[in-house]
Amino acid sequence: MSTEQNSVSDILEDNTYKYGFTTDVESETFAKGLNEDVVRAISKKKEEPQFMLDFRLKAFAKWKTMKEPEWPNVHYPTIDFQNISYYSAPKQKKVLASLDEVDPEVMRTFEKLGIPLDEQKKLANVAVDAVFDSVSVATTHKKKLMEVGIIFCPMSEALKEYPELVEQYLGTVVPVGDNFYAALNSAVFTDGSFVYIPPDTISPMEISTYFRINTEETGQFERTLIICAENSYVSYLEGCTAPQFDTNQLHAAVVELVTMENAEIKYSTVQNWYAGDKETGKGGVFNFVTKRGKCQGDNSKISWTQVETGSAITWKYPSCILQGDNTVGEFYSVALTNGHMQADTGTKMIHLGKNTRSSIISKGISADYSSNSYRGQVKVGKNATNARNYSQCDSMLVGDKSSAHTFPYIETANSSVQIEHEASTSKISEEQLFYFESRGISRENAIEAVISGFCKEVFKQLPMEFAVEAQKLLTLKLEDSVG
Amino acid sequence: MTDTLVESSAESAFLDLHKKLLEQGRSALAELQVTALSRFEELGFPHSKHEMYTFVNTKGLVATSFSLPDGSASVSEDFVASHIYPDCKDQCLVFIDGVFDRGLSRCEGVNSNLMPLSEADEEVKAYLSETAENENDVFASLSTAFCDEGLVFKVEANTQISGTVQILFVSTGNTAGSVMHTPRIVWQLGKLSEIKVIEKFVGTEGGYFINSVQDWLLAEGAGVSYTQVQMDSIGSWHFSKVRVYLNRNARFHSSNASSGNQLARHHYEVRLKEEGSEIRLNGVSVLDDKEQVHNFVRIHHEAPQCISHQHFKNIVNGHARSSFDGTVIVCQGAQLTSADQLVNNLMLSNDCHANNKPNLMIFADDVKCTHGVTVGQIDEGQWFYLQTRGLSAKAAKELLTRSFAKSIIETIEFPEVVEELNDTLLKKLEARND
Repeated sequence: MSTEQNSVSDILEDNTYKYGFTTDVESETFAKGLNEDVVRAISKKKEEPQFMLDFRLKAFAKWKTMKEPEWPNVHYPTIDFQNISYYSAPKQKKVLASLDEVDPEVMRTFEKLGIPLDEQKKLANVAVDAVFDSVSVATTHKKKLMEVGIIFCPMSEALKEYPELVEQYLGTVVPVGDNFYAALNSAVFTDGSFVYIPPDTISPMEISTYFRINTEETGQFERTLIICAENSYVSYLEGCTAPQFDTNQLHAAVVELVTMENAEIKYSTVQNWYAGDKETGKGGVFNFVTKRGKCQGDNSKISWTQVETGSAITWKYPSCILQGDNTVGEFYSVALTNGHMQADTGTKMIHLGKNTRSSIISKGISADYSSNSYRGQVKVGKNATNARNYSQCDSMLVGDKSSAHTFPYIETANSSVQIEHEASTSKISEEQLFYFESRGISRENAIEAVISGFCKEVFKQLPMEFAVEAQKLLTLKLEDSVG
Repeated sequence: MTDTLVESSAESAFLDLHKKLLEQGRSALAELQVTALSRFEELGFPHSKHEMYTFVNTKGLVATSFSLPDGSASVSEDFVASHIYPDCKDQCLVFIDGVFDRGLSRCEGVNSNLMPLSEADEEVKAYLSETAENENDVFASLSTAFCDEGLVFKVEANTQISGTVQILFVSTGNTAGSVMHTPRIVWQLGKLSEIKVIEKFVGTEGGYFINSVQDWLLAEGAGVSYTQVQMDSIGSWHFSKVRVYLNRNARFHSSNASSGNQLARHHYEVRLKEEGSEIRLNGVSVLDDKEQVHNFVRIHHEAPQCISHQHFKNIVNGHARSSFDGTVIVCQGAQLTSADQLVNNLMLSNDCHANNKPNLMIFADDVKCTHGVTVGQIDEGQWFYLQTRGLSAKAAKELLTRSFAKSIIETIEFPEVVEELNDTLLKKLEARND
């Protein structure tokens, strides 16, 4: 843990959203509105194969018949889906041969965000796919990954290069009509990452995608598909930021993971979209995401780790379908809400195979006027003999205007299961902080220590650099909420 | 709330039935009935994804066509006597088909406490019409809409009702067609008053739907010990709603033992309105075959320094279903709340279902709230240990199952109820254990 002493004023200064800048690049944006022609235009623009267009049209037809979900514990004005532009891309004249040809403005943006895109620097042993509004602008380390047979590329490229793989798996975990936002995403998604790990391969590096919304009043609809074949392993990281706008941007992503026999996917997210103005709650990103993994082969494992610190509204339930026998699903989450943020997040663990195991560790921290809900489902099917689940969802409240809720759904139809669920709620109290201070530990470090202790079980699941970043992020966000 | 109707014919069948009720003559509670009926129409029967009925399938119930009780039911005194607990033989109020029967009751000791609902004081009347307007449970609205007369049990301030009061609900089935019974009791407890109540639900045969609503209004410092024993006939439906309002330092201890029937649902709505009040809800159900018991609890902590405890245990066997849907809501400003909630399920067969939804909604920061759920089966290690000590496999299993339920049963403070539950409820387990 970093022990450097920041003065209070430094911390307070830092406390504003430092990713709130916009980048002035010439971009090509579709006119606002959504109809079948827009869906066709997106498909045409991306020069997609016929099956993809059919997939989109089917999803769009389904979406028109669906209603926005009302059950989440969040409140927001109705979204006008006709007032959003469904495609925005930095203007490019030709196919890029190397990173040097990426618009320098875009490169500078990612530099400001601290994302090492420049392969020359080889700062981190992480392969990055950078998604700017609707398109992927740069993917690093592709060659090195290809040497071991790993495919890592933007979705649009995968559709051209490996259409049969995409066709085989796309929509198998999250069907087009799964829910309102998944259907919308299926109809209009523009880009995202595609990862294929061939059998018997351990990915030599972390793979990551960085999402950035830049244009006002656009929606970002990305689609990520990760397939991990037999006996393989990959660790995947995802990061997100957006500029500060007074209007709300919609982010409706879909992530699908598939693991074959003995495979493992570890998926980590640090989500720091712009959360809106802290005082008024104006602006911010609506983060309505469907993430689901299917442990298809026996003995496979999917692990979700998420640190949610941004977005005006979060609606997100990374789930695991434990279909194969002896499969394992894990969910580790820290959700921090402050200002006027609202989060309704959690997971679903669907036990179908025998001897399936899942664990859920969820930590919610709510400060200021925010509302933080954990909503999780553990469902054990009739044939899931010896299924095992452990859930723990703890909440921490900071200030008496915030609220914390838990809504666990536990459904069992098999008698050989063992399920435990527990939850507790507490607060960072003046007494705890006073005790630290009486021992000569500064207030900032005391808060950091309490938060770090509270979230330890989740942070230790994160890759090293993410863990440090996540911890700093939480401390900074909470700084002027306590005391 | 967004309620769409399952099928509009289900509601209209009840509306038609209500017209027939009106044709029989004007009831003393007509105004209340009309309010409740319009609320019933607004709410409509729950669809399959209704948040209050996530685990309860009411389709079979609402599709059943009910007739009005014709008042011809006769229950023998022996039958009634066999269900009265020895301690309560001088204080037992008997309801036949949802209607208070003074003839069969033994109410000399508490006569002065009783009053027909239609003659209740203004305060109670205002309360009734307000709750009917704001009812959130469609079945409670239905009950009020069909309730011709209810009972007010009033305990004056600083009074302690000596002994235990038993309420016996006897429902007679009807072979000609299903009947709905709608008993209603309002309990009004004055300052520092106390009462102990045992309620028992029994039926002579199946084919009835008992849909009861009870309101407990506790003034400052009042104390209640309340035990419900649900032993309806198998082919019946049992819905009950218990509303509890607690003022300063009042306490309400409730235990419920259910043996289930084709659909039993207990709805508790508790409001801890003033500082220092306390509620304890315990429940146990032992289910076999196709029996069902569903518990639905909402506890609102509206004032600081209130306490709530919930502990529910379910044993499910055969094709039985149990569910628990409980929410503790800590309102803004209700600091120093202490709330805990624990649900344990023991599943004994591969075809049974145990569903749970323990929720917390917290709007205050200085609180202590916990909830926990477990679902499991007999612990192999414990089972094995008992067998190494010379118990047969069957006896060991029985011992473990019994002791699982006993920890709740033994919190009931009436020995005769504990004994009865040991004899009847837990006997169900033995029949199955092979």
